[in-house]
Order: sequence, then structure tokens, then C-alpha cells
Amino acid sequence: MEIDITLNGDDVTFEIARSDTLLDVLRDNGYTGAKRGCDTGNCGFCTVIVDGDPVKSCIRPVSQLAGTEVETIENLGTQDDLGPVQSAFVDNSALQCGFCIPGMIMRSKALLEENPDPDEADIRDALSENLCRCTGYEKIIDAVQDASTRMSGEADVAADGGRVSTDATCHGCDCLEGGSDK
Amino acid sequence: MSRTDDPDSEDKTTDTEKIAESNPIHWDEAPNNRKAPNERRTVSHSEEKDDAKKIVTGEAKYTADYAREFPDLAEAEVVRSDIAHGVVTDIDTSAAEAMDDVYAVVTPDSPEVPEKPYTSAGQSYPEPSPWDLRVLRRTVRFVGDPIAAVVAEDKDTASKAARKLDVTYDEYDAVFDTAEAMEPDAPQLHSADDVENLQPGADYERNIEAQMSGEIGDVDAAFSKAEESEDLTVIETEWETPYQSHCVPEPHTTIAHRDEDNRYHLISSTQVPYHTRRQLSHLFDVPIRDIQVSKPRIGAGFGSKQGMITEPLTMALTDAADRPVKVETTRREQFHALRNRRPARVELRSVVADDGELEAIDMEAVTNSGAYGPHGMTVASAVGKKPLPLYTHTPNIRYEMTAVHTNLPIAGAFRGYGAPQGHLAVEGHMDEIARELDIDPIDLRSRNVISEGDLEVASGILKDKEYGRRIRSCGLDECIAEGRAAIGWDDVDQPEADHLHRACGMALTIQGSGVPGEELGAAHIKMNEDASFILQTGAVDIGPGADTVMAQIAAEVLSVPPEDVLVQPSDTDISPFDHGAYASSTTYITGQAVKKAAEEARGMLFEFASRMLGEPESAFTVDDGAVISEITGESVSIEEIGYESMYGDEVRAQVMGDASHCTEESPPPFGAQFVDVTVNEETGEFEIHDMVYAVDCGVALNPALVEGQIEGAMHMSYELATGDGITFDEDGQPQTLGFRDYDMPTTADQPPLTSLIVETHEPTGPFGAKSVAEIPVNGVPPALSNAVRRAVGVRIGDMPITPEKIAAALDDD
Ligand code: FES
Ligand code: FES
Repeated sequence: MEIDITLNGDDVTFEIARSDTLLDVLRDNGYTGAKRGCDTGNCGFCTVIVDGDPVKSCIRPVSQLAGTEVETIENLGTQDDLGPVQSAFVDNSALQCGFCIPGMIMRSKALLEENPDPDEADIRDALSENLCRCTGYEKIIDAVQDASTRMSGEADVAADGGRVSTDATCHGCDCLEGGSDK
Repeated sequence: MSRTDDPDSEDKTTDTEKIAESNPIHWDEAPNNRKAPNERRTVSHSEEKDDAKKIVTGEAKYTADYAREFPDLAEAEVVRSDIAHGVVTDIDTSAAEAMDDVYAVVTPDSPEVPEKPYTSAGQSYPEPSPWDLRVLRRTVRFVGDPIAAVVAEDKDTASKAARKLDVTYDEYDAVFDTAEAMEPDAPQLHSADDVENLQPGADYERNIEAQMSGEIGDVDAAFSKAEESEDLTVIETEWETPYQSHCVPEPHTTIAHRDEDNRYHLISSTQVPYHTRRQLSHLFDVPIRDIQVSKPRIGAGFGSKQGMITEPLTMALTDAADRPVKVETTRREQFHALRNRRPARVELRSVVADDGELEAIDMEAVTNSGAYGPHGMTVASAVGKKPLPLYTHTPNIRYEMTAVHTNLPIAGAFRGYGAPQGHLAVEGHMDEIARELDIDPIDLRSRNVISEGDLEVASGILKDKEYGRRIRSCGLDECIAEGRAAIGWDDVDQPEADHLHRACGMALTIQGSGVPGEELGAAHIKMNEDASFILQTGAVDIGPGADTVMAQIAAEVLSVPPEDVLVQPSDTDISPFDHGAYASSTTYITGQAVKKAAEEARGMLFEFASRMLGEPESAFTVDDGAVISEITGESVSIEEIGYESMYGDEVRAQVMGDASHCTEESPPPFGAQFVDVTVNEETGEFEIHDMVYAVDCGVALNPALVEGQIEGAMHMSYELATGDGITFDEDGQPQTLGFRDYDMPTTADQPPLTSLIVETHEPTGPFGAKSVAEIPVNGVPPALSNAVRRAVGVRIGDMPITPEKIAAALDDD
């Protein structure tokens, strides 16, 4: 069977099987940014946005989605022109292996569209269905806070996404002559 | 504080002197290895991770993302044993084979499936793990053992066909507890006749995979002396940890196919491409040259990918189906059928003087290998070998380990590699000593702990008596001071309510930097005309940012921006050899090879500059993309040299360098873990206010990446301390089959994490670096257990620490 959806702003028609999930169809058609981490709706690595809401695409039967608007990580920005959430993740070193990150960014984007100024508790609550095994979440929370600031225009976002200051963190170092806190 | 050798123990004195002689304090460090912070161009700067932008755009490609490049790719489903112990007497494959779009149904009898035993452990050759696995198994030893596989057009079809296999078993009794498994009448899992490459102390009749012990000094004499002396106290403690899942984000995935030269090509989520290539070659009797293993982006490993999990089967299946095959494991398989952190029981006894000086430590560990032996001997050894060096000055130390098989899932390598289990015991025990002697826990440790300049011998306790290492950098004092201040150790505010009690607990931690004398890293770097460089290493970046750090090291040597050094991902056809990403070795071992290779390339830059400017090579230095004469101040840009080297009139030669690095050194990083907790004495519930970890990893080559390692490892360490782990029913059936059954902390329940970096300088490491990837995973179980003990007086020594256990222990009090 076929299905028509709006994907990243374009009207598309996909050939689908009845049992296909949205994640199956996205990945089979080259939208591989969404990752398959569990296939049971428990990790969030496959999170995309459907009609404005964050959705775990691995448990969403695609046959129910005719006429919906689906947005994936592929729509957010390019490496040369990152979107604000993407550049906040880069600048806050909020990623390691990256397998959770597309889902985490889509979830964060959905949060910030609904609540442009979340506090830490709001962020922790909103992201709690998206797991990350690498970061301990600290830098991810920082990144979402930073993205919120950027999106509300309080901070300038440089064209390259804005590199953070990269000075060494050398705490009370006495190992070298002249070595001191920066 | 170095302590003189015990005059009573002549044996030890002689050994120690010999070891001290071969490990002098002096290290011949190249002058340019040590740079003051203001001289560092890129090392110790938080450079952007080289794959960050492609990760946030979703363009980073992991193994499964390559599927679309193989139009005729088939997918597979593995059929696994649903009993814990027995033998498969029959598999009826006819119904599955009759299905449309099924390309192959494979059993142990299929000609493509090798019969040979092997180990999945991705280790040096010959592997220090028994060869006890078969690709598909007739005898099954846990729920999850692979017995057959189906290849079909897609995963759905393969799964449907797999369900049509009719398997008949002859079921055996099973054993799930290590103590019971060693009893004479226990069911026996393996016969020594079926296992090759047996490990020391193997006794398969008692289900013992390996058993070793070692001693420094005379432990029995120390305990006898304690019996007679009023001033000596004996303390005994017991500790236990459960199965822990890596929860590796990207499930193990392999795509295997034959390339246009009919060679095997595997794209695989692996930490060890080179070991995998060699092991596949041996297993399948295929020449090494006919196998290529490519590592794309990896969705982390944490040890779970330090070995061949999906590769052998996928290679067999591509032959059986005669087309490219992908094996992508499910999360359910991840939890019950692949690899885990092994449970351990540790008993510790010590003799300590009234002033807190340690006289003897007697440590005994029994680890549960599960059904097979990958990493069994080495991890069980590490349970003692890793933490004991903290207290290497103790004159009498004994360690005995036993690795035991049960009919539970296979344990394997897991970040920390036995050290977390060992640290719980050793650092929990230290607090029991402090409590007994009424000494501050930090003071007790300071009195006994290792420090800079010391000779460390405890890590060699299971080797001959010739092993030791010189500690050339140790920032433990600073780690303690900074962590203590950050957690507020000295002024804990007690809550108003009488039933709430707040306290801080701490634990020291130590790890290594590579396996001493074992690991080999190699690097090759070549220059392009535009003063950019291509760096090839076998270093396997599985997520932490190793490629970025390698680029920084090369860039520092060549004085170019790190983004001008392009690092190619590890591929056995292209990259120089490397043992792989494990044992916290990449920065320290491969990083040093990269530094040497870049220095060789820099030497070629100087040769060209010498010809171009008519000055001796020794006159030159590099700075900011140019080669500059220190005599005349004349300079030539690296780009000009690039063009000259390739198209010049005089000499044409590729500017490049290559080098290998292998060393007996494995300098330990150090760290101090602190936890601040409030415990409710009525319910046992507890709240963690902060977890602080201060690390000495030498010079942190990329501080943001180091913080990421600390925070991620502390998260796992916290899970080991408080999560239920993986559980089983009385028949060995797994009860943890998905994230919903497992206590992995989320943003909502992960307590805050604070990471602190203390800089020291390790003269043997590249620009002073040691390692950091594993060490922060060691500290939370003992630090939290110690904090609870200090808060409400009860000791929870068997992980996880739960409100129920605390409440029950308070009731018992
Ligand atoms: S893959 Fe969809 S939630 Fe895990
Ligand atoms: S960065 Fe690896 S899982 Fe989040």
C-alpha cells in the first residue's frame, strides 16, 4: 500500500507494508538519522516530531499517519549551517557516541517549541524518555538550556554555530613552572 | 609516602630492590613533551569533537546505516536456547526452509559453520581466555545460547521463519550460584576435553574456569602476629555485585559480504577490528589477507564490543545465503544473550595497627563468568590487581581469585574490567577500618596510600615477583582536597527532622593506561599540498572522541589547527595495526605512536625548509602553520613546503611519518569519588545531593571530553550501586528483557554529577597524558555505601543499595 505524508516540509508518497512502523519507513527511505535502539519504545533514539509532538517512531504504525506532518533530524540544519539546538549540543560537548543524539535533539526541539524557557526540572522531565548511556546527561541539560537562550535571541549565534572558549581547565596545578589556573 | 622495605622479609627485599633498579625514578623525557599551559596550542583545549557536526545532523553513519549500500542485503534472526542447560537433540528446519524469501537456515551441522572452539574475547594473541565457544551450539549452557539462524529477505520474514524451527532438547540440571557450582555434585557445564587454550587453575569438574593466587610478604604470619598483639586489629568484610548490562546504545550489528575480489568484508560495530580479523581468520581457516574489517561510527562499546559477538555468525551466514547479510541484534538479546558485567563476591581481611597503618590485606574474589569464559581469568585477576596498588605499601598482601561457570549469561569485558567490583571491597573495607579505629576515613587513606615516586608492586601480585612500576605522576592528594571541598566534607548540615541523617562518603580509585607490555599502537600521517594532514591510526573511536584527541596530538607537534588533521576511521585494510579500544589505552599508547609519527613528518618539513632557506635542519621550529628558523627568523609556510615537496625542482618526496608504540609502562590515573547523601532512618530511603569525582589523568588533552568520560562513567557507577542489575528466575530465565525492566538512570532520576580535573604531568605519556575512560566507573558503590554507613550506621555491602536493604539493616541493629 501507499501512504502520503508531509516529510520535512515536502509532500511524499511511500510504499509501505501494513506492519511497518514509521521508523522502518524512514530508515528504508534513507532518513537514517533516527536510530533503532530498542524497537519497543523505551530508549527514545528514534524520536521524531509528528504534528508538533515528539514521537517514538519505532512504535508508531506508519499506516496511521496519512496526512500528518513528520519532521526528522535531517530537516534541522546542515553541517555548515546548524540549527540552534544542534549548535548548542556541539558547543556544549553534549555528545559522545552520538547514537542517542538525533532523538535527543528532536525531543529538545519539541520541548523548546512548547516551552521556550524551561528550567532544569522541566528539561529533566521532558527528556526523561530519551536515554543516553555516554554523557550522564549533564552536558545535554546544559545544551538544552543554552539552546533555549539562543532561540530566545539572548545570545548571538555565530555563523559556525559559535565555538565556546576552549581554554584549559587546569585546577590549582603546580606541576609545571608557570602552571596556574586559567 | 614511600616506606622502607620490611626487614623481616628477605625475599621481598631482594625482589623489590631488583624491581626498583629496573624501574628507576628518572625517565628520559623528550623536552618538548612537557609544555607549560600557555605554550600549548591545542592540547588541553576543549576542541570540538571531529564528528560532532555530523552527529547532530544525523549524518554520522553507524553499521546499520550502511544497509542501503547493499541492494541485495539479507537479514538474519538468531534462534536461541530457551533452556538453561541441555543438549539439542533435533532441529526440524523444514517448515522454515519451505517459506518464501528464506535464503538459508543454518544449524551447527551446516558446512558454513565452523566446528572449532574459539573465544569471543578480543585480546592479544594467544588470547588469555579459554576457547570454549562455538559459533552455533549443540550443547546449550544458558537461556540465550545461539543454536541456529535464519537468513531471509528481511528481518520480519527471518523472524517468522525462525519461529517455525522445531527444537528438541534433552534437558540437564542447571546451576546458577557460584558456590553451588563448585560443589562436587553440581551439574558440570564444560568438559576439559572440549575446551582448548585452558587458563591457569582450570578445573572444569568443579566448573572452575581459572584460579590463581599470589602473595607479597607473609600474610599468614601477619595474622598470627595479630592474634598475639594488643596493638593490631583484624577486620573482616564481605561484598557482592550483580550482573550489570552495558546498555550499549547501538545494538551489536555486522554486515558481511564478499567484495569484488571475493574477499570477506565486514562492516561491524567493534572495538577491536584487528583482533577480530585475526580471530576470524583462525576460526574459518581463511588467510588474514582475505578479510577486511571496517569500523564505521560506533554507538559506544564500554567493553561489550571488545570481542566478536555478531561477526563469526554473520560471516558464516553470508556464505550460506551467498549474498550480503546483516545481523542486527535486538535490545532483548542485548540484555539476556550477549555480554554483561560479571557478578563478584569478595571477602577481605586485614591487619591494621592502632595508628591506622596497614600490616596485611588478604583478599579473595569469586566471579561468575556465566556460561563461557571470555575475559574470565583476566577480569577476575583485575578485581584484585586493579585496586590493591592503592595500598601497595602494605607489607603483606595476598590475592586469590576464582572464575566460576554457571548457567547464566556470558560475562565479558565491561568498562573498569573488574576494578569496580574490587574497589567496592577495598574502599568499603577502608571505611570499616577507619570506623573501628575511630580515624577519619580520609586520614586513614592518606596514611597508607601510594604517592608520586613510589614503586608499585601490588599490580604484579599474580605475576612472577619481578613485576613493578614506578609511579611518576600521582595527584591523589589534590584530588582528595578538591573533592573534599566541592562536596562539603567538613561542614555537612544535618537536616532539621530527627529521622533524616546526612553524610558524605568517599572512595579512592585507580586504573591503568593500557595493558603493560602488551599493547601495540601504530600511526601513519601524510601531508597534503594545502598543509592539511591525513592521519591513519588503528585507534578505534567508539564515541569518547579518541580521533579528536589523536588529531590534537598531531596538530600540537606540527603546529597546525587540529581541524587540519583529518583522522580516518580504523579499517584493517587501511589503518596501521592497533590492538583496539580497551584497557584505557588509546590516548596513552596510540597517542604516543601518533606523536612519534607526527615528529617524523615534522623532521621532513625541516629537511625541506633547510633546502629552501639554506639553513641547517637544527635551526628550525614550527609555529602557526610555518617552519621558522630560530637563527635568522626566516620562515616558510607549511603549505609552501607542501607544494615544494610534490612539485618542486630539487627533491620530490611525500612529507609523512609513521611509528609504533608499545611499552612496559602503564601509569595509573588516580581519582577520588565523593557522595553526599541524606538517609531516612524510618524508611531507608535516601537522596543523593551530589556526586563529585576528581581525577588525575595526567594532562587532560581535551578537558571537555575528559569531563564527558567522568560524567558518563559516574552515571554507570551510580547504576551499579543502586540498580537491580539483570535478574533471573529459579530456572535461569532472564527477567530483564528490555530497558523497561532495567534501572538505567534517566534525566529524571540521575543525581547531579560534578567532575573535577586535577592536572599532573606523566612523563611517559603523550604531552603528559594518562588515561581516563574507565577509572571514574569505580567509585560510586563504595563511596555511597560508605556515606550510608556514616549517615545511619548500617553497612550495605551487597549491591544494589536499596531503601529496603537499609531499612532491614536498621531494623536488625
Ligand atoms: S528505538 Fe524507538 S524507543 Fe528505542
Ligand atoms: S552520546 Fe552515546 S548514547 Fe548518548
